[in-house]
Amino acid sequence: MKILLFLIFLLTSFCKFAFSEEHSDEQQIIEMGDIEYGQYLGAECASCHQQTGASEGIPAINGMDAEVFVALMLAYRSKEMENPVMQMIAGRLDDEQIGSLALYFSQLEPPK
Amino acid sequence: MSKISRRLFTGLAAASVGTLAFPSISLGAVPRVVVIGGGAGGATAARYIAKDSGGAVDVTLVEASKRYYTCFFSNIYLGGFRNYGSIGHNYYGLSVNQGVNVVHEWAVSVDPANRIVKLGSGNTLYYDKLVVSPGIDLKYDSINGYSAAVQDKMPHAWKSGTQVQLLRNQVMNMKQGGTFVMVPPPNPYRCPPGPYERVSMIAHQFKQSNPTAKIVILDPKPKFSKQGLFEAGWQKHYPGMIEWISSEDHGGIKNVNATKMEFVTDLDTFKADAACVVPAQKAGAIAMAAGVNDGDWCPIQPASMQSKADENIYVLGDASMAKSMPKSGFSANSQAKVAANHIRGALTGSKVFDARYSNTCWSLIAPDDDVKVGASYVAGAELIDVESKFISQADDSSETRAANYQESIDWYNGITADMFS
Repeated sequence: MKILLFLIFLLTSFCKFAFSEEHSDEQQIIEMGDIEYGQYLGAECASCHQQTGASEGIPAINGMDAEVFVALMLAYRSKEMENPVMQMIAGRLDDEQIGSLALYFSQLEPPK
Repeated sequence: MSKISRRLFTGLAAASVGTLAFPSISLGAVPRVVVIGGGAGGATAARYIAKDSGGAVDVTLVEASKRYYTCFFSNIYLGGFRNYGSIGHNYYGLSVNQGVNVVHEWAVSVDPANRIVKLGSGNTLYYDKLVVSPGIDLKYDSINGYSAAVQDKMPHAWKSGTQVQLLRNQVMNMKQGGTFVMVPPPNPYRCPPGPYERVSMIAHQFKQSNPTAKIVILDPKPKFSKQGLFEAGWQKHYPGMIEWISSEDHGGIKNVNATKMEFVTDLDTFKADAACVVPAQKAGAIAMAAGVNDGDWCPIQPASMQSKADENIYVLGDASMAKSMPKSGFSANSQAKVAANHIRGALTGSKVFDARYSNTCWSLIAPDDDVKVGASYVAGAELIDVESKFISQADDSSETRAANYQESIDWYNGITADMFS
């Protein structure tokens, strides 16, 4: 099992190296981001998303992986994911703003 | 002293002494912000300015109450879903964690020319920027026969606090099969769906403890927020219990008699066994004292929440004339972040970003049947313009309505942490 994991690790490392010119959409969006802007925009999120502790209905977003964050926001923006509040919030965010939020939240301490 | 220990010291000093005297002249280069009112607008503004400036701005919050009971979720308490203590919050987090000087006093006057706030004790606070977020005052005389003197007989319960507990008591003790009369306020007022959520929560209580009770709503308006959703919910959960009478049908409330518990209208005279009467509203008195009002409310610049009357004063929340945003705790919290960003920029040179606002109001109709309405906004030239909006659908699944309720509970925990932690 450990050997298998190691092989997967080698393979993914190789792929990242080999195809590093071809960034994913998520990575490109993250590169457009600005942390200070993300901090300002992220204040809107803090009205509902608690900064500490997990919750049942509204998940914690502090410390979330930046690529996962971007993928989720894109899915809300395109209405692939349901929830009218999140569709409204994401619907008015451009790529730079999503990238800024992803950068900001990914560097915060995740809730314990 | 390190930043953290200095903040802790300031916070503990504020927390333990409670009231601090301040000289009326600024002593150093650290700019001063005074925030009047510790609700969703003021507490959020104080917290964000202190937190994001990292000690570069001295923030004083003036709030008379040591314990703040939120208006939002007071209806959930009325329905018996929460205890009263669970909607109470203190200011220790703001003082200890954020270094805000919390002064538990009334602000009695503002001298805008000299930038001074005078407190009830006679002490004065100097400011570079002032945030006025006092919430509402009630216009008792907007209803003939209603007054502060009879508010315990017919509670308004529209500013949270003991009035809400009193109303809960009167609901619980109303005679079997009696009539409860609800008089919602005329527009504009705090929490547009609030009166109708309140009726829903009282109906939920009656369904269990007083199932033959009736509720009559004498509305001064011909229509109301989320009307279709509420009416469908009442039909489903409380058939035959609630009668909403439009202003077009009753012709207006001519007189209220608190001794006889009677409401006189063109249509009929309604006799109540218990009642909730919410009069018309206006900005809190300190906004008038500061001279930033135009009539009952305070005009603001949509891009910053600055008063149109004074660029050093920001008006937040219910007291502001922030059309097209509703008067809600969510709106006030959202406006506070725009103002905080603008104030920090003006005082410390930090970057000022474009204003963006949002609001969502959840309303509980019955257990696990919760509806929501919301919108996002941008600053227009004259108004805060709606960018996009949504509302719950009549054919939502029961799972969606139950998820809305869970979402509202998480929102409550989120926003109160965003105000007070």
